[in-house]
Amino acid sequence: MTCEQARESLLLLNYGELTFEQEEALETHLGGCPECAAERERLERIEDLLAVGEAELPPGLLARCRRDLSVKIEEETRPLKRFSPRRLWRDWFVHPPVWVRPLGAALMVAVGFFGAQFVPEGRMPALAGGGVAAEPVMSRVRFVSNDDSGLVRVVMEETRQREFTGSMNDDRIRQALLAAASDPADPGLRVESMELLKNQGQQDDVKAALLNALRADTNSGVRLKALEGLKPYSREPEVRAVLAQVLLNDDNPGVRTQAIDLMIQSNEPEVAGILQELLRREENSYVRSRSQRALAEMKASVGTF
Amino acid sequence: MDEAALIRAAQSGDQDAFERLVRNYDQPVLRLAMNLLRSPEDAYDIYQEAFLRVYRNLDSFRFDCSFHTWLYRIVTNLCLDHLRKRKVRRTEPAVVETEDGVIDRMDTVAEERADGDPQRRLLSAELRGKIEEVLATMTSRERMVFEMRHYQGMRLRAIGEVLGTTEEAAKNCLFRATQKMRGALGEFL
Repeated sequence: MTCEQARESLLLLNYGELTFEQEEALETHLGGCPECAAERERLERIEDLLAVGEAELPPGLLARCRRDLSVKIEEETRPLKRFSPRRLWRDWFVHPPVWVRPLGAALMVAVGFFGAQFVPEGRMPALAGGGVAAEPVMSRVRFVSNDDSGLVRVVMEETRQREFTGSMNDDRIRQALLAAASDPADPGLRVESMELLKNQGQQDDVKAALLNALRADTNSGVRLKALEGLKPYSREPEVRAVLAQVLLNDDNPGVRTQAIDLMIQSNEPEVAGILQELLRREENSYVRSRSQRALAEMKASVGTF
Repeated sequence: MDEAALIRAAQSGDQDAFERLVRNYDQPVLRLAMNLLRSPEDAYDIYQEAFLRVYRNLDSFRFDCSFHTWLYRIVTNLCLDHLRKRKVRRTEPAVVETEDGVIDRMDTVAEERADGDPQRRLLSAELRGKIEEVLATMTSRERMVFEMRHYQGMRLRAIGEVLGTTEEAAKNCLFRATQKMRGALGEFL
């Protein structure tokens, strides 16, 4: 191999694009050519410098992109008039047209009046202070959102629907969000609930929910939200253990990449070992390159010997 | 559900499946657009346009190539169009508007990469400026190949497939881009 060929191969070596034979030939050449060996070191240092050139994603940009895309797609599907039980519920029951409201009220009075005829005497619930005597049993949180003032709105699906608002410190709100965050039927609701809960990780029950979601939620969007919420706790052993599990077992490359970013924040010695193990089994080239870069930043080798 | 099943479900109108498909890829897509265009608003536009095109044309996806390749073809074509229209590259704004207010990008860089050390922060800022300069001297294709190989970790073969060219041509492009970068960053070594 000539020096010219070696210089060409060095770049590909850096990017892991050489075959085994090509790499062997290059290593042999580098062993006997100090100039090319120096060029290799130079290239590796440039590689490190280039990490600074990667543009950072501004906080909130990804979330905004996702939210706006959902709205646009919703608008795209609207002319097709596809049947959607969720939309039907929302358009006719949660926010009915104005002309339907008096009809609905009259219908409810009629149902109440005639329905009462069938309830045996003595089994009527006692009404206190003109309100509803018994709290209905919550069956399912259907929708959560927050507004600019920081209040959270939760809509639950029950025998009838009710709505309440409160701050994130309100125990009712938090419990409802925790229930919504584990609703297996609605990944979108879980993502939105996680979005609201992710800054409440100082509460033990919320942190436990974030860890559970990261470990076991089937939706990668929910897992990513949980990862965001666990960011301030990446040094805690319990969090590190779940991150290691995610890094080696999660099927989504985006989640694995984020888990690497969180893991290296903790600066613990075991992180290098986990990344080396990841490199041994990782097939996704982006995750591989991210792990390699993380190991380089930690000044650790990419393999175990 | 594996990816093929997810795509088929999305093709048959399953919105959740489509959302999961988007979430599997959207972060690297946004990162690529951000790296190439160096503007959060342009990256936002590319994200929206790319995934709307995917949504509108998913029915025509016939598994002739991987979904990743198909998606990246859409994204890189949009970015190339953007870069061509722009002609003169804009520099990355020092501050960005976010939902949490205005953020100085250099603050983020300093905090995450240079431990707040003023000397290192200055060096990082200089280095960033230099990298920006070199990227501006690259052709759109060189830049695209460089970003995909360097920051996205994609194989040259996959890059060739995405850009509709050969692995050899992608390799030559990468060589040229790296030579430019190497020459300019020498002073920082």
